[in-house]
Order: sequence, then C-alpha cells, then structure tokens
Amino acid sequence: MSQFAQVLLSGLSTGSIYALAAIGFTLIWQAAQTVNFAQGEFVMLPAFFVLVAINFLGMPLWLALLFGLLMAVLVLGLLFKKLIVEPMLPKTGLPLIIATMALSILLKESVKEFYGAEAQPFPDILPQQTMNLAGAVISVQDILNLVISITAVVALTLFLNRTITGRSMQATAQNPAVATILGIDTKRMVLYTFLINAGLAALASFLISPLYLAKFSNGETLGVVAFIAAIVGGFNQIRGAIAGGLLIGVLDNLTATYITAEYRAALPLVLLILIILWRPQGLLGTDEGRQV
Amino acid sequence: MLELQDVYGGYGKITILNGTSFKIQKGSITTVIGPNGAGKSTVFKAIFGLLDIHSGQVLLDGRNVTGQSPRQMIGSGVTYVPQGRNIVPQLSVYHNLELGGITSPDQAGLRGRIGRVMEQFPMLGEFRDRKAVELSGGQQKQLEVARSLLLDPRLLLIDEPSIGLSPNLVQEVFRTLTSLRDQGVTILMVEQNAKAALAISDFGLVLELGQTRMHDRAETLLADPRVGRLFLGGSIEEEG
Repeated sequence: MSQFAQVLLSGLSTGSIYALAAIGFTLIWQAAQTVNFAQGEFVMLPAFFVLVAINFLGMPLWLALLFGLLMAVLVLGLLFKKLIVEPMLPKTGLPLIIATMALSILLKESVKEFYGAEAQPFPDILPQQTMNLAGAVISVQDILNLVISITAVVALTLFLNRTITGRSMQATAQNPAVATILGIDTKRMVLYTFLINAGLAALASFLISPLYLAKFSNGETLGVVAFIAAIVGGFNQIRGAIAGGLLIGVLDNLTATYITAEYRAALPLVLLILIILWRPQGLLGTDEGRQV
Repeated sequence: MLELQDVYGGYGKITILNGTSFKIQKGSITTVIGPNGAGKSTVFKAIFGLLDIHSGQVLLDGRNVTGQSPRQMIGSGVTYVPQGRNIVPQLSVYHNLELGGITSPDQAGLRGRIGRVMEQFPMLGEFRDRKAVELSGGQQKQLEVARSLLLDPRLLLIDEPSIGLSPNLVQEVFRTLTSLRDQGVTILMVEQNAKAALAISDFGLVLELGQTRMHDRAETLLADPRVGRLFLGGSIEEEG
C-alpha cells in the first residue's frame, strides 16, 4: 500500500508537469487554431536560459530562474507570436503547423550546437528530502512539484474565469468575430495567450529539468507525451489537458512499477489509440465549439 | 445621423458596394431590403469598420468615420448585431452582457447598467447564470440586442434579427426595436422578412448590386409593386 502511494504521488507529480505542457497545446489551439509541434522544445529551452544565466552571466539561481522566465516569455511568447504565427496565420492550416515543426528542429539543433549534446545537470530548486507519511516514503520534491503545478493551473483558471481580461480571452477563443464587434482587443488577447503558454512552459521546464537533467532532446519525449495528454483529455478544454497529463503520469508510473518498465514509453500511444477509437473528442473534450 | 456617400468597398479586391449612398434620420428605424447578394450585410460591415472601403465616405453626425475600427465605432455610439448567433457560448448570460460594456470608460457603472438592461429584458435576469449556449434561439437574440444596448448606443445596426426565430419571437424582437426607437435610438436593420420589417419601420431602402435603388418612407415602399416583384426575382431597374 505504501509503495502504491509513493508510485501514485510520483505519477501525479510528473503528470502535473505534463499537464502544464499539455495546456499549452490547448491554449495555442484556442488562440491560433494550430498545433504547436515545438511545444516540447518550449519546455526544453527555458532550462538552458537558466543555465546560460548561471554559467555565463554569473547570476544566482533565483535571478537565473527569473531571467529564464522572462526570456521564455519574450522568445517563446512574444517573438514566436510576432515572427512565426502572425505572418503565417492568414494562410491557416498546414503551413503554420509545418512552421512549428521547423521551429522545433531549429530550437533543438541550436541548443545542441550552443550547449552540446550531453545532458547538463540542472540545479535543484526544491528540497530533496523525503518524508514518512503513514508508512510511505514520500519525496518532498514530488509533493512540491504537484503543489506548484496545481497552483499554477488554479491561478490560470481563476484568471480566465474571474477577471474581465480572462473572460475577454475566452470570448476571443470561443467566438473571435463576436469579440471583435464587442470592441475587445482580440490581437492583445491572443498575445496574452501566447505569453501565458510560454510562462507555463518555463515553469514545466524548471520543475522537470532537475529530474531529467537539461538536454537538447528533452522536448522530443515531452512534446509527444504532452500532445497525447491533450488529445486524451480533450484538445479543446484546459481541464482535459490537465486530466490527460495526470492520467498519463500516473499510468506510466503504475505500469513501470507493477507491470513492466520495458513498454512504459508505449503506454501513452496505446492510450491515444484507445481514446481515438472510443471517444475522439477526448475524455473531457467537447464535439463542438472551442473553449479556453 | 448616418450618411454614406458613394461608398465602394468589399472583401479584398472583390467589390460588393458599388457607390452606395443614403442618409439615415436620427431616431428612426430604417430597413434595408434587397435580393441575395445585394450587399445588405456588407454595407453594415463597411459602416462598422469590418471591411475595406475602397472609396467614398461614411459620415456620422457629419463627422467622417470612414475606415474606423469597430472599437472606435463603438466609442462613437454605434453598436452592431450581426446575423446568426453572436454569443460567447460558454460564458454566462451575465458575463456576455458584461463584455458588451467592455469598452465603456465608466466600468464602475457597468454593473448598474447591466441591472437596468436585465430589467428591460426580464428573461436575462432570470437566466443570468446560465451559459449563453443553453438559451433558445430567441433568447440568444434578445441577449445580443440587450448586450448591444449596454453602451447606450445612438445607432444600432442589426442584421437579420428574425432569422431562425418563430413568428412570435420575431414579433417580440420587433417590439423591442420599436421600443428602442421610441427611446431615441436610431436603428438600421437588414431583414429578409421585408413586409414585417417595413411595417415597423419609418423608412426603407432597397439595395441592389451594391447600389441604393430606392429610399423612401416604409409605407410607400410597402405599397410599391416593384418592391414586391424584386423579391420574386425581378430587379428595380427592369421594373422601373
């Protein structure tokens, strides 16, 4: 029982980080009706901004994290929107998707060229102790990863539902034509969506990099898992992305512990196939309409 | 109140409005009628800054507002209810109304104005926390009209308000419009249901191929056989 609790918590912890990345797919889908295939690299890159700040600019960890967050918002939010999405948006559909694939390769190869192919140690930002809870040895880092991710998601949900700006973003996502005739600054709302996505990606990066180290290819796995999580949960719903991320994190850990570790990487794909066959709109997704 | 002077415009290089000109009197209801493709909805989009005007002018109270953005037009006292369903489906009725006042400089007074609009449309008060998508078609149209009133517009552009509504609901929407006119709001309406719309209007104008073919008092147009024939596939020029 205690092992189950440990595995479950660890799965929820990893899954919550997947969820942060998966939410990005949903947000970008809502804002630009496209799939950002560079999302995995969006989670990989901020860790390297932090490493650059520490190793090249001599910043302390807290300042380096702030630098990493700001750079992520600037590069993966503002510049991504202005330089890639905006010029491609009128073409809609495939060209923009291909552009995000190209961006994925560009980011990955740039990091590899600049920082090398080796995995880089990333400083611990959370305590590494364990604690004993009802006989189960629980990692404080797992708990804090989960708490921080959930806090971020709750804050995002509150922002979207309880503020006029958040509701304007929802209006822009759900019915851009109506948002325009109401006088909502839709371009600004879309920009906010991209900035929020970049911020969430940076947070996911800071939480997962101490566990997996920082490596140029981290985005490959993360991107695929987050993409599958978003589809499994429901691509047009934030709560779907959260559910999908948590589900994959937990199932991954349970499979590796109780069944086999050999096929754990295949699990999300099996889940994806089953969901597409059984409920194409995802567990919590809807057939129609778009919702932030 | 509103004047279009020889307006040419359309979507990109496609020209729909071919020298559209008319004047709308303050505090009146004017219905725009015409066959499909005449440019009725396009003229609204041109007024509201939603498409390119290639040449000509849109004047509001004598002020040139040609090419102003929707946000600027709202600031000038113009609101627009396009045809079809124009709600934010997953937001509540209250929050849909709230968004109608998002450009208001007096955000503090917005809650009071929403309360007044809900008094005017009691159904909206009753369903204030219901998602807009859960309202019936007629209720959604009432929500759209109510939302467009939050900023106390001087000019309301409303496109095909009767579409998809039962005859009872059409009458309800038309009663709402006449009541607004009586309160001093100027209304420019596009309506396929020409007879019913002209019956509540002060003026009517007939658009064909992006040009104003007729512009007269509503009862005069109602009595004009050319208008009837126009809706049976003829054209004003042929008949005239």
